[in-house]
Amino acid sequence: MPDDPRLPDGIVLTEAQKRSRRQRSIAIALALGVLVVLFFAVTIVKGPAVLNRPL
Amino acid sequence: MSVVDHNAIELGPRISEAEVGDYLALLKPRVMSLVIFTALVGLVIAPGHFHPVLAFTSLLCIAVGAGASGALNMALEGDIDALMSRTANRPIPRGRVTASEAMAFGLTLAFFSVMTLGILVNWYAGALLAFTIFFYVVIYTMWLKRRTAQNIVIGGAAGSLPPVVAWVAATGSLSVEPLLLFLIIFFWTPPHFWALALFRSDDYARAGIPMLPVVAGPDATRLQILLYTIVLVAVAVAPWPLGYFDAIYGVTSLVLGAGMLACAVHVYRRRERAESLRATRKMFAFSILYLFALFATLLLEVTVRGIAASIG
Repeated sequence: MPDDPRLPDGIVLTEAQKRSRRQRSIAIALALGVLVVLFFAVTIVKGPAVLNRPL
Repeated sequence: MSVVDHNAIELGPRISEAEVGDYLALLKPRVMSLVIFTALVGLVIAPGHFHPVLAFTSLLCIAVGAGASGALNMALEGDIDALMSRTANRPIPRGRVTASEAMAFGLTLAFFSVMTLGILVNWYAGALLAFTIFFYVVIYTMWLKRRTAQNIVIGGAAGSLPPVVAWVAATGSLSVEPLLLFLIIFFWTPPHFWALALFRSDDYARAGIPMLPVVAGPDATRLQILLYTIVLVAVAVAPWPLGYFDAIYGVTSLVLGAGMLACAVHVYRRRERAESLRATRKMFAFSILYLFALFATLLLEVTVRGIAASIG
């Protein structure tokens, strides 16, 4: 607990930290989106053969 | 008197201010672009039909795998990167990203690139991509780089594998053609990096990296550059008389090879400081053009052959 009750409890991010965290979160979301689209597209392209994965 | 160093006390958890650009820089985008290009050539010269979506997936996985290797390399080399002017601006020496963050980033990308290539394309290609990342990170970065002057000769195998991975992705098997591409990049790597090491030898000496100019001196390095260039030119021309690639490639390879040899002879003969510096910089720049033009010719040749076949 901070001594001064007007101060927020815990870690407070600066504006720069908030901005960069938001940027990184968007980039991760986009990357995951690309991965989902990629798996969907390859599933459509391969059709039933998608289950056939010879080693 | 206090024996506690107050500067060393961590007052709170470190909160990253790293931006997306810092993480992109960890991927070594310039190296990545060469990897994508050589892998594209491996895909294009592979026989048979390869669906464009699968081709794109393969290229993306190979590119991300290369980026993962770059991030893991930087995670392990933050200490020496800080000592060299060429690398002091990288995200870890600048304090933008910590080594452990770069390590986590690199391992995540390596895992996803290998698994995606394996699941969506084929497991031979996935395994070969995993081996490429392992070779670059463990064999080159962790083992060879700080121990031997032959670091980039052996480590060059990792940079030579992308067109082979691409071929295996497209065909599910190996053949002579991708191995020829492998050999061209393998023998191209030493003269290219030793030219860089010649005009950056102070950097490497400061960081304690046993590059050839630091260990054996500039004259021995110049001789090695010349010898490797002779082998490179022979290896690069050989696929033409052996019948693997056509005349367009053969003639281009001869002309470009003559240019590479001229640069190597210049480097060997010009030993006075200013002239030597100019010659090595020229060799370094021309070597990039050489590899790019050689592989671009293969692309052109396959395209011309495709057009001719569709007309005929």
